Amino acid sequence: MRTPFSDVPRTTLTAFYWAFILYLLLPLTLMMAMSFKDANFVAFPIGEWTFDWYVKVMQDKQFLEACLYSIMIAAAATLAATTLGVWIAMLIVADGIRGQIVLFALACLPAVVPGMISAISLRIFISTIDMPTGTAAIILGHTVHAVPFVVVMALTRLRSMPGNLVDAARDLGADSIVAFFRVTLPYLRPALGGGMIFCVLLSIDDFVRTFFLGGYRPTLPMLIFAKVQGGMSPEINAMATLVLVVTAAVGLYAEYFTRRARTR
Amino acid sequence: MVSSNTTAGFGTVRDTTVPKYSTGIAKVVNSALYRYTLGAAVESRIGRILLLAGVPLIWLIMLHVGPIYQMLKISLLSHYPVQPGRESHFTLENYAIFFRESIYFTPLIRSFIFATAATALTLVVVYPVAYYVAKIVRPEGRSKALLLLLVPFWAGELIRTFSVIMLLANRGALNVLLREIGLIDRPIPMLYTSFSLGFGLVYLICLYMLLPLYSAIEKIPSPLLDAAADLGAGPLTRFRRIVLPLSRDGIVSGCCLVFLTCIGVFATPMLLGGPNTVLFPETISGFFHGASDKWPVGAAFALIMLVTALIAAAIFMRLVGGRKRRAI
Repeated sequence: MRTPFSDVPRTTLTAFYWAFILYLLLPLTLMMAMSFKDANFVAFPIGEWTFDWYVKVMQDKQFLEACLYSIMIAAAATLAATTLGVWIAMLIVADGIRGQIVLFALACLPAVVPGMISAISLRIFISTIDMPTGTAAIILGHTVHAVPFVVVMALTRLRSMPGNLVDAARDLGADSIVAFFRVTLPYLRPALGGGMIFCVLLSIDDFVRTFFLGGYRPTLPMLIFAKVQGGMSPEINAMATLVLVVTAAVGLYAEYFTRRARTR
Repeated sequence: MVSSNTTAGFGTVRDTTVPKYSTGIAKVVNSALYRYTLGAAVESRIGRILLLAGVPLIWLIMLHVGPIYQMLKISLLSHYPVQPGRESHFTLENYAIFFRESIYFTPLIRSFIFATAATALTLVVVYPVAYYVAKIVRPEGRSKALLLLLVPFWAGELIRTFSVIMLLANRGALNVLLREIGLIDRPIPMLYTSFSLGFGLVYLICLYMLLPLYSAIEKIPSPLLDAAADLGAGPLTRFRRIVLPLSRDGIVSGCCLVFLTCIGVFATPMLLGGPNTVLFPETISGFFHGASDKWPVGAAFALIMLVTALIAAAIFMRLVGGRKRRAI
């Protein structure tokens, strides 16, 4: 295959790609390596290696509680965002609905508004409806953040769906609700599986919304942020490494899941 | 599966001609409770429309538009939350403060400079990478090459920012390496400067640029490039006349995404920046965590930032985008 760069050695681009990969992975690798340092301060070279920080983190009650709290919030926000996102997508693709572009723009609005402003507007919003900061407010914020992504993923899948599938179900006596649950939803499932995992990652990673909407119970990013501001210690590295490994594994699984669904 | 107690009270076998399904959905649909409520609603046109549009419209208006509207409203008030014994009236004072005091003006300008620079730098760095994956890697290997680029993306904003500290700190990897080689005697202070903030921003957002660029470049038909080459166009001409114009959509959406993300980044400047690199989000945040009476000012500032960021993105789209793109 000929490319515009074919006169420039192709190896230059290959080398650039690998240099970029190195740039992406180097800080994370250093961060992970530092979690094995056998000293209570962060500095290179690492010198003595130890596993103690992991033992300490796994016994840290605050960390474990923050993990559970983050997972709980992520699960609730994902469930809510998936339901609402699919519902909005169904409305956008429905026949005879006017103003689809307006609806789509409205659905995407939270994804366009910068994170910080979204967080502040939500903080103001919950205070105007007398909602206290805390768990419910965080879940609400994370749901608003995730809905646009679900809408886009569901829309992409819905547009590739043959229209006569639903027609056939209707001819065989299913009403609209039954047709949705037995035909449309199963058709959407592969897209939603990946989308839901993406929502979970969005929620677990989110810092700015939690910062403004949260109460005194820290989520994982809040805990790490507080510890980083409190002073460096390899303990934070061990914590971050654990979180990184788990989220990367979940992300890889999502990638595998969506790819398998696509090829099927 | 649906538990039997939802249907038990009404009796499941109402009509012997109804075929027996084994699925949970069928049990629900054949229950009287469903037939007289949702089942009846969905029979009529209005019922169907309400069921389809009700919840989505309420959600979109309440939670996608509502917060922005409330922010706009509060930015025009003199006091919020209203304390007893105090009157709140409409005013433009909150906006005027921004233009009067340069300590507020500077962070916004700085935010824009950092976001623009980071966007431009990201575009220049990521374009060759996207091109490499989309056109040079063989199709079988593409998803693997892409996956390798996505791995750091799962680390999350905070952990990626934290890992940059490991590289740039006074006793971080870079300084120690430079000292080992003998290039420097004492560590160069890199952390808490514009450099570390810029480095962190680019590190944080470069993947948002990759995917739009990749999908745009991948769509360029290779025969087009071959034809141009046969007609005597050199590599630079082919890049300038074919690849660049045809990947324009990817450039526009990638740059807008990166720019808007950069403007709204909050944790990164707090961890990597210093006293001389205070960005606008941090300024705004101060109004919400200090005395609560400053909320209207914070809301006004947030709106100023939102509007200027969207205008900047729109101008960029207009300049570079050229033709109109379909929204859906």
